[in-house]
Amino acid sequence: MKSFRITFVRVLVVSAGLILALSAIFAQEVVNAQVDTADAGAIKVAPGELLPISVKLSNFGGGRRVDVLVEYSIFSGAGEKIYSSNETVAVETTNNFIKTIQIPFGVAGGVYMAKTFVIYDGQLVPATTQFSFTIERKILGLFRDDFFLYGGITLLSGILMFALGHALIKRRRGRSTPLDYSDIPRDKRIFYEILSDTIMQMRERVGDDALLIAANIDGLKIDKETGKVHNISENPSKIIATLVSGYEKILGKKVSFSLRRENPNL
Amino acid sequence: MPQKTILVVEDEESLREAIVDILRLKNFLSFEAKDGEEAVELALSKHPDLILLDLLMPVMDGMTALKKIREDSWGEKVPVVILTNLSATNEQLVEDMVTHKPMHYLIKSDWKLHDVVKKIEEILEMRK
Repeated sequence: MKSFRITFVRVLVVSAGLILALSAIFAQEVVNAQVDTADAGAIKVAPGELLPISVKLSNFGGGRRVDVLVEYSIFSGAGEKIYSSNETVAVETTNNFIKTIQIPFGVAGGVYMAKTFVIYDGQLVPATTQFSFTIERKILGLFRDDFFLYGGITLLSGILMFALGHALIKRRRGRSTPLDYSDIPRDKRIFYEILSDTIMQMRERVGDDALLIAANIDGLKIDKETGKVHNISENPSKIIATLVSGYEKILGKKVSFSLRRENPNL
Repeated sequence: MPQKTILVVEDEESLREAIVDILRLKNFLSFEAKDGEEAVELALSKHPDLILLDLLMPVMDGMTALKKIREDSWGEKVPVVILTNLSATNEQLVEDMVTHKPMHYLIKSDWKLHDVVKKIEEILEMRK
């Protein structure tokens, strides 16, 4: 009685953008059939996509050409057959080919089993190859799980970026809003405003070093967090000139500044 | 709407002409002065809407010219933008600035002419 040895070897299967390893060797010999399967559970395809299977048939029957019927089936986890097809394949010594199975469109997601049977001379060869794979629907070209994973990551990143941007804008606005010195006597207020605005402008350009430079000027007392001028105890013009000089040193160029308008008509 | 007038006070001819050209493109009418003395004369006779003033100039420097302009009842309110290469690290200069109140003290090397003109437009827009 003839029998076949059917084994699977590891080959590359490209499916749904994934490169996966799958095995399939068929061999034929006189007595005793052997079947080796490689579980390729990592294979994932979407309904409607092609599941490629690399098949190798070997005939150890003395080089005589034989025709075998190869049947391909897919079974659900509950054992329900959802796909079946077959083809006759001639094997002289070996026959290698790629068989593609289109996954039915309407099939539900889950783990499935692909099984291959070989029928020779009207008899089922006592050898079956099989491997499991996963069917999963796609959303916008991504498998559903991947879609939710990447979508979640993207959404989370977006929220973080938005929150960060919002915080930075708020902080920047806070820094660039001129500080109020209406409580300072009118004749001294202009000095407070020039100093405060110059510190603020320089903070935009050189960062918190602008606060350090201002805080180290004799006769000038500022809030080291906000840059608000608390007190000027020496000649204010001299302090402004010293501050501008300090900023020019760190910036390496001359510094422009503006004066606030006392009223809209000026 | 009447055309806004700008007095451009700058001793460097090429820079003065460049400023006037840009102002013309922006539909401003410009008067040109090459020193402080001309600036005072033109300012008090033409009453421009804004003065763009250099500081270091021959005959009369910009701060002296500004002081004279501010002594006039019209001149005490005219907006002035200083455009200079002189660094404001001198105590007397700061004192003069505070006294005569230009709106901006702009360093030439720090500003593109188009941005200077934008400042001018902002000031005149606020005064409408």
